[in-house]
Amino acid sequence: MVRPSVGAGIALVLTSTIIVAAAARIAAQGPPPPKNPPPPGWIDPRNPPKEDPNFKPSRTPDGQPNIEGQWVQASDIITYSIEDPEAERAEHVALGGQRPMIGRPIIDPPDGKIPYQPWALKFAAFLHEQHLKPSKPEYLDPVSRGFQEGLPRINYQGAFHIQQFPNTVLITYDYHHSYRVIPLDNRPHLPANVKLWMGDSRGRWENNTLVIDVANNNDQTWLDIVGAFHSDALHLVERWSITAPDHIVYIVTVEDPRVYTQPWKLRVDYRRQPVDEQWESAVWEGNRTADVVLGGGRR
Amino acid sequence: MRQCLSAIVIPVILTVGADMARGQTQGNQAVPRDADGKPDFSGIWQAVNTAAWDIQAHHAQKGVPAGMGVVEGNEIPYLPSALAKKRANYQNRVTADPETKCYLPGVPRLMYMPYPFQIFQTPKLVTMLFEYVHATRSIYTDGTAHPPGHIDWWMGDSRGKWEGDTLVIDSIHFNEETWFDRAGNFHSEQLHLVERFSLLDADHINYEVTVEDPKVFSRPWRMSMILYRHKEKDLQLLEYECYAFDNEFHPPVPQ
Repeated sequence: MVRPSVGAGIALVLTSTIIVAAAARIAAQGPPPPKNPPPPGWIDPRNPPKEDPNFKPSRTPDGQPNIEGQWVQASDIITYSIEDPEAERAEHVALGGQRPMIGRPIIDPPDGKIPYQPWALKFAAFLHEQHLKPSKPEYLDPVSRGFQEGLPRINYQGAFHIQQFPNTVLITYDYHHSYRVIPLDNRPHLPANVKLWMGDSRGRWENNTLVIDVANNNDQTWLDIVGAFHSDALHLVERWSITAPDHIVYIVTVEDPRVYTQPWKLRVDYRRQPVDEQWESAVWEGNRTADVVLGGGRR
Repeated sequence: MRQCLSAIVIPVILTVGADMARGQTQGNQAVPRDADGKPDFSGIWQAVNTAAWDIQAHHAQKGVPAGMGVVEGNEIPYLPSALAKKRANYQNRVTADPETKCYLPGVPRLMYMPYPFQIFQTPKLVTMLFEYVHATRSIYTDGTAHPPGHIDWWMGDSRGKWEGDTLVIDSIHFNEETWFDRAGNFHSEQLHLVERFSLLDADHINYEVTVEDPKVFSRPWRMSMILYRHKEKDLQLLEYECYAFDNEFHPPVPQ
């Protein structure tokens, strides 16, 4: 079911505190403040509120910290650009009248930019240049072509449901009926030559944090629409921490020694919502984006 | 000698009979059950038949394995005009089959395509995940009714209930774009399915589906087959992203 990307049940009380704190931090560190007003209850990934270290989550019958339910991000992150969403999307917002989204999810390095190797920086710039009028289908955003998002992008696309079973966590995403089955039984990853759009996930609990190691990623997915890319050496360590009754802090370490100079980190905060039914989200079947962008009866 | 023989044979038969009876009892006890005592269908399953090519009995052709068919009585009661369309579909199947465009295959076709699927079961929701185009089915067993419609969904809307140890799933809200197989068997948007899942033992589901569509068929008809549990150690669903293999693959969007 389609839901707004910023959930209900948001902590309005925190808003003014966050804004003041964010302003102070920005003044100290230099990145420009958002030009547009934040939505109510916004959690700035780059300046989040303090967590309660004594929080004890409820447990599932088999003893896992309970993270079941429907979750929606509170970080105002859009898949359009993870480096500079406001500036990148300004033209689209002006044309389409959408609300600008301001969350900048990259928390390490502090400048919020992907630490590309020199060659990769050039290729990312090339893809950025191509993304509005690609010369080849493979220079168009793979999600716009109707393909799966991959990780971590699917985690800032929309709402998802988590179900917990003994030895397995299941995540089903609203968008494109994507799903992840995450075994918790210490089994090894798939053989390294097997590449998957959604990667191969292996989870374990560390106190209140579900740590998921994601390997076997293919090199076909992008991290946003404007061409943030990786190779099939991409390796992720996701940390899903339940820090309050209805709050997950998600921090993923992104590693790809062929493309980046160092591992980098991206953060998304989620709020738990009442559970809706997940209705069909067919993407490939009606997708005309490739037709429109690539032109001339390509689809 | 003859008397001696029968004296030996009869106890043997009795013993075997008793063992068989005990075996059945053990089999029933071995059916996994959830916290509510319902049969638990959790696991990875797959059909082992050739219904994906043709749901009716057929001999082999190049690239098509022969099969006994899964249609009860082997007859599909097409209305006359629909039968003509089925024959045309068969003639044009190389391009007309929606599978060649990598669309979501619909139900029940996805249940017997040659890819595994996984079931997760809770008292209110049965989730089915498919390797083929990462399709999913959410089957609500919480007593809710179908949403008002008509809604054109590829996979329909499924609501389940228990009849004893059988999970009965009622599905409507389909579009008219999907087929039953590669042989051109088809339906309209008035498709109404009643699927019945029951465990024969821990590793076998008896799967039956009643197909109703007054625009295409003169009466309801039924398919039945066995779904087999995958028992390989650490087996997991992988991916078959049908549409993502070829950069130049751009089939038309349905109108």
